[in-house]
Amino acid sequence: MNFSALNIILIGIAGLLGVGFYGLLITRNLIKVVMMLQILIKAVVLALVFAGKVSGNLGLGQSTAATVIVADTIVAVVGLALAVQVRRRFGTLDVPQISTLKG
Amino acid sequence: MAGSLILLIIGIPWLGALLVWAIGDQNAKAQHTLAVIFSLLSGIASLILLAFVDSRPALNLTLAPAFGNLTFVPDGLAVTLTVIATVIGSLAVLFSVDYMRGEAQLGRYYFMVLFFIGAMAGLVLSGNLLFTFFFWEITALCSYGLISFYNDDPKAVAGGIKALIITQVGGVGLLAGTLIAYANLGSFQISDVLANAVAIPAGALSFMAFSFLIAAAAKSAQFPFHTWLPDAMEAPTPISALIHAATMVNAGIYLLARFYPAFESVPNWRTAVILVGVISALITAFMALTATDLKRALAYSTVSQLGYMVYAIGAGGVLASQFHLLSHAVFKALLFLTAGSVIHAVGTRDMRRMGGLSAKMPFARNVFIIGALALTGLPILNGFWSKELILEVGLEGSPLWAYILMLIGAGLTAFYTFRMTWLVFFGTQREELHVHETGMAMKISLALLSIGSFTTWLFFGGLNKLLSTTMPFHGIEEESTLEMVKAISFAPATWFALLAVILALTLFFTLGRKLALSESPGWLNTVTESSFGFESVNHFFVNMISKFAESLRITQTGELNWNILGIIGALFFVLAMLLWGGA
Repeated sequence: MNFSALNIILIGIAGLLGVGFYGLLITRNLIKVVMMLQILIKAVVLALVFAGKVSGNLGLGQSTAATVIVADTIVAVVGLALAVQVRRRFGTLDVPQISTLKG
Repeated sequence: MAGSLILLIIGIPWLGALLVWAIGDQNAKAQHTLAVIFSLLSGIASLILLAFVDSRPALNLTLAPAFGNLTFVPDGLAVTLTVIATVIGSLAVLFSVDYMRGEAQLGRYYFMVLFFIGAMAGLVLSGNLLFTFFFWEITALCSYGLISFYNDDPKAVAGGIKALIITQVGGVGLLAGTLIAYANLGSFQISDVLANAVAIPAGALSFMAFSFLIAAAAKSAQFPFHTWLPDAMEAPTPISALIHAATMVNAGIYLLARFYPAFESVPNWRTAVILVGVISALITAFMALTATDLKRALAYSTVSQLGYMVYAIGAGGVLASQFHLLSHAVFKALLFLTAGSVIHAVGTRDMRRMGGLSAKMPFARNVFIIGALALTGLPILNGFWSKELILEVGLEGSPLWAYILMLIGAGLTAFYTFRMTWLVFFGTQREELHVHETGMAMKISLALLSIGSFTTWLFFGGLNKLLSTTMPFHGIEEESTLEMVKAISFAPATWFALLAVILALTLFFTLGRKLALSESPGWLNTVTESSFGFESVNHFFVNMISKFAESLRITQTGELNWNILGIIGALFFVLAMLLWGGA
């Protein structure tokens, strides 16, 4: 088996995806859910750069990755702001509980 | 010209969505007015687009080379579906003015509706598969938001999430098929895929064909994904009429019709499509027989009629399926909206509590009967011509057993439609309900739709011309309305179908009227209430995943020692890999 730089990146993408899904499955805390989504998005960003390199469109891959970074920052900001509001209103961050409460 | 019209059709509702949301819920009256104006404008623009039908892209926007150009192709199929989405959409919005009066959070409601109408037009007009997928997902999102509109009701929230998850399965299918096409052809353009389908290796093409079938079945609530549509009836009724009867569920049929020429020769694909159609049409017809909730009964009949369209595509009748799609969109929107006005008036959806409403709601009764007769498939109404056309195509293009099952389905349709009408409007009044007549805005849209139920079959020639002249890959023959009428009137298929309908109606009027109210046999109830066991399949998957997640939770101890052990382990793993790789 040959561990070239590209293969290591591929393993990194798979690893990040694995960590993200694992975290989404086990966690019930809203803030941790946002964090896990961020990890998943990081895997996607890495995959975009990787795909750009492999297909020879390095610039395209990088610029798409930069766009995704901007978009996912917004997701993180809004998600965390919502978490703060949820905590203030319901007094808990437990996802199963807040999905049955009404606001 | 056509290019700017397309931009208007998609852009006007989206602009309206932002405006309605921005002016705030305290100006409810302005929100109603704006929503109606913007949806009507979009409807008018799409009617004008009918004059600019073309098989070439009308709009070609350059994007990054890897995604291909964003094209919009106003061909016959796309424009027909755009007209259905925007015109029936604007009638549903008009209906909402009365139905949603006094509701809170109208901004959210109209935002989702208008956003949906624009996305639906984009979905069918887009000539780029990647963007078809984007619009496809937007419609799923809006559908979720509207099913869960009454977010205080746990049933509505659960129904919305169920619809979202199941249509996401379809989304994955569409994306997988799209990527297969790109990997083999290097293009996302639908026209390239249709033209070069033979260049795709057989295995990949059949994978693509079946993943598109999964996408279509999930979106159109076909077997085995039919369980989400009845639960989606928790949405406000205009939404059920617009999204879950007239537009979004047609997206699956559109996908199958669009790619039929490419997948036609894939082994077993057509048989699979016929099977999906027949099974969906039959089992949901049975479920409609025992339903007691008016909207659920209509939802089952929607799945059943969509099954007829899927069956027609499997039998090779793309034109027949689109013709029935047009008829169905009109009469089902009429039935749903009338049901909405009844529900609005009496305040319950349970048909066992209605009955004898005929005298109190004469207008609603008249239009409901028109819709019911069209659904039954009795002559002169649009449902008759399109259903007969499907059965005629089926007799030629599908195995005989499928045709016979569909005939039985037609009989069942007649039976449950009359049962429904009888339970709501006729018979004895079973409960003292406070009733008020239908509002003005409601009446206008109902009247227009019932005129449509009488007349849309006259557009058959026009529809045929649109499809045959602008769809080079489908090879649809030209036929005028008159020729179609002649062919159907003398076809044996028609007489068999009418016989089945008349048989069912005789059965209903001799036995069924008494049976309608009495409890249906226990075994039938149990089977239909569990969606023929598919509800438990859903539960099985959900339970499996949540159990798996629960069992994983013990691995998250939160103890610092374990965490540091994990970090060091990972570090060693990476170092070992680097060393090994460097050697």
